[in-house]
Amino acid sequence: MTSDTVRSSAVNRNILVALTLLGAVGAAGVYVSAGPARFWANWLVWTLFLLTIGLGSLFLVALERLVGAHWSIPMRRVPERIASLVPLAVPLLLIAFLAVPVLFPWTFPEAAHNPILVAKTPWLNLPFFAIRLVVCSVLWLLYYAFFVRGSLRQDESKDANFTVRARRNAPFFMVVFFFTVTIVAFDWISGLEPEWYSDMFGVYLFAGTFLSGIAAMALGVLGLIRRGRLTEVKSKHFYNLGTLGLAFTVFYAYIGFAQYMLIWYANLPEEVVWFKHRIEGAWYPVALLLPLLNFLIPFFLLIGGEPKKRPWVLRIAALSIVLGHFVDLYWLIFPVLGPEPRLGWPELAMACLFLGLGFLQIRRAMGRGADMPVGDPLLVKGLEWQL
Amino acid sequence: MSSPAFAVLGLYANPQKIVDAAKEIRARKLGHMEAYTPYPVHGLDHALGIGKSRLGALVLGMGILGTALALLFEWWTSAVDYPLITGGKPLFSWQAFVPVMFEVTVLFATFTAGLAMLFAFNKLPFFGHPVLHSQAIKGITRDKLALSIESTGAAFDTESARQALLENGAESVEVVPFPDWGRPLTLVGLLQIIGAIVAACLAAGVGIYSVQKMLPVVQPMLHMHDQPKLNAFRSSKFFADGRGMRPAVAGTVARGHLPPAFTTPEEAGTILTNPLALTQKVAERGRKVFDDHCMVCHGSVGDGVAMLSRAYGAKPGNLLTNEMHARPDGYIYGVVMLGKNAMPSYAPDLDESDRWAVVHYVRILQRSQNAKDEDLR
Repeated sequence: MTSDTVRSSAVNRNILVALTLLGAVGAAGVYVSAGPARFWANWLVWTLFLLTIGLGSLFLVALERLVGAHWSIPMRRVPERIASLVPLAVPLLLIAFLAVPVLFPWTFPEAAHNPILVAKTPWLNLPFFAIRLVVCSVLWLLYYAFFVRGSLRQDESKDANFTVRARRNAPFFMVVFFFTVTIVAFDWISGLEPEWYSDMFGVYLFAGTFLSGIAAMALGVLGLIRRGRLTEVKSKHFYNLGTLGLAFTVFYAYIGFAQYMLIWYANLPEEVVWFKHRIEGAWYPVALLLPLLNFLIPFFLLIGGEPKKRPWVLRIAALSIVLGHFVDLYWLIFPVLGPEPRLGWPELAMACLFLGLGFLQIRRAMGRGADMPVGDPLLVKGLEWQL
Repeated sequence: MSSPAFAVLGLYANPQKIVDAAKEIRARKLGHMEAYTPYPVHGLDHALGIGKSRLGALVLGMGILGTALALLFEWWTSAVDYPLITGGKPLFSWQAFVPVMFEVTVLFATFTAGLAMLFAFNKLPFFGHPVLHSQAIKGITRDKLALSIESTGAAFDTESARQALLENGAESVEVVPFPDWGRPLTLVGLLQIIGAIVAACLAAGVGIYSVQKMLPVVQPMLHMHDQPKLNAFRSSKFFADGRGMRPAVAGTVARGHLPPAFTTPEEAGTILTNPLALTQKVAERGRKVFDDHCMVCHGSVGDGVAMLSRAYGAKPGNLLTNEMHARPDGYIYGVVMLGKNAMPSYAPDLDESDRWAVVHYVRILQRSQNAKDEDLR
C-alpha cells in the first residue's frame, strides 16, 4: 500500500467512525422522542439485514466447500470477510431480546385470552425463545470461527488437511443453517404477528439471505477489482456469480410468489390479513418494489451471457438485490407499527449507526489475511479455471 | 478418387496444437472449418470462428411469447368467453394465472431450445455423418483431436487443404469422401419401424395390463384415493338397493319444473297468464331459447319455413298467422310444455322462466312481422 492509499483509507475510517457515532446519538434520540417501538423495529430490521448478509456469505463459503467448486476459490476471501458481519450481528440480536416485550404480541398480557396464541405457547414462550436465540448464536459463531478463522490460519500454515476438514463439515453447517434461518424467520419476523402462519416463511427468508449473500459477494469482488486488487480474478470468475444470482433471483421470486399465491387463494382470514396489511394502501408501492428490485431488474440484467461478464451490469444487479433485501425486511417488519410506512429522521439515524458499524466491521476484516486464500491448495485450480 | 471429397481431416494429439492450427488455417479460407474432439477444448470455438449462438435470444423471445399467450388465453377464457366467479375473486385474477403463465413460458422456452438446437442449428435429421465413415473416427472417439476443412462447393481444393494441415503440425491427414449413401428410408425400413413401434406398444400394454392384474399394486396416497364417501353411479353395500346414488324421494319436483295443471294447450290458455314482465333481459333470453330450440323447425322469424323442415317434408306451424295472434299466452306455453302433433314436449329442456321468456319472444316476432305505423316512431 502506498502512503496515499493509507491516508485515504484512514480518512475513510474516520468518516465511518463519525457516521457511527452520529448514528448512535441519533438512535438514542429515536428511543427518547419517537418511542421504543419504532426504535426496536429499526433495530430489528438492521440487525437482521446485517445478520442475513453475513449468514448468506458464510453459506456461500460452506457451499463452495460442500460441492468442491474451484471457480470461486480466488474470490472466497470476499464472502469470508463479509461473513464477519455474523459476529457483529450476534450481540446486536442478543440486545434485541429487549425488544421482545415491546414488539411481540405473544408476550402481552392479552395473549392469555387468545386461543390461537395459547395453543402456540409451547413454542412462543420467553425461556424457550431465549434458548433458541443462544443456541443459534453459538452455532453461528462456532461455524464462523471454523470456516473463516480456519481459512485465515491456512494462509500461514498451508495445511491441506483444513480443506478436507472444511469439506467434511460443510454438510453439517447446511443443516444448521437451514434450521437456524428458519428459527430466525419464525421467531423474529413472523413472531411479530404470531397469529399468522406460513410454512414457507423460513424458505422465503433463506432465499433472500442467500440472494443478498451472492449480491454482497459480487459487490465486494467488483469493488476490490476497481481498486486494483484481486487482479487475477477475471470476468470468467464473476460470470459465475451472475449465473448464481440469476438462478437465485428466480428462486426468490418463486418462493415469494408461491407463499403469496397460496394465501391469496385459500383466503383464510387469519392468514390473509398479514398480506392485507402489507399490500393495501400506502404499503402497496413498497410491495411493488420487491418484485422489481429482487426479480425483474436482476433477472433481465443477468439473463444474457455476455452482460454477466460486464462489471457494471453485475454491479447494478447486485445493488438492486441488496437494496431489495433491505426493502424486503422493512416491508416484513415495519407494518406492525401501523398502516403507514414510516420513513423519517429516525430511520436515517439508525441507518447511519448500523451502516457505519457494518462497514467498520468489514474494514476490520479486510485487514486480516491476504485478498485471496493463498494457503488453499486448490487456489491454482481456481485461477486456471476456464468457463 | 471417384466421389467428391467431403473434408480433409488432420489429426492432432495435443489440444493446444489444434487450437493454434485452427487459427492459422482459418485465415487461409480453404473451406468450412470444423473440429471433432473426444472432450471439450477451451478456446477452440473461438479459434474456429464460431460466434455466439443465437439460440439464447430465440429461447428468450419464445419464452416471453409463451408468457404473453398464456396470459391472453387465461384472460380470454376466464374474463371474456366464460366469465365465472370463483371463490369471490375478480374475473381477471392475475395471481391465479401466474402458475400457468410460468409453465407455458417454460414449455415454450425448453421446446424452442431443444427443437431449434436439433433441427434449426444442427440441421437434423441427418442420417450418418461422413466423418463417421473415416479411418480417423476411432481415434477421434478416443484420444485424437481432428481438425477438419470441409467442402463448401466444387472449388474445394483437397491438395492445398492437405498441405495446410501438414504445415500446421497435423500428425496424419485423411481425405474423407462423401460416403455412398443409399436412400435413407426404404419401404421395408419404414415397415420395420412401424412394426417395431406396434410391437413396443403391444409389449408395453400387455406388460402394464398383466402387472396391474396379477401383482398387487401399491397405490400412492391411499388416504386420498380411498375415501369413505359414495360415488355417483357406483355400487354401495350400505343401502338395501345396492346403489351409491340415492334416487329422489317420490313426488319430488325440481325448481322451475312444476308438473302441469292442465292436460291440453287449450286448457292452459284459459287458466295461465304470463307471469314474467317483458324486459330487455327477458326478451334476450327468449331469443336465445327460441334460436336454440325452436328456430330449427319454426324458422328464424317463426314463419314455419326452415331449412330442416323443408329437407324432411315436415310442416311445422306458422307462428305468425292470425290464429296464433289470437291464441292466449298460456296456449303457447302449453304447447311448449306438452308438445303438439309432431312437436315433442320441451318441458325437460326448458324451465318455467325459459318457457315464458320464449312466449314473450314469439309475441315479439309476431309484432315485428306485422308492424304498425306507431311501432316505427
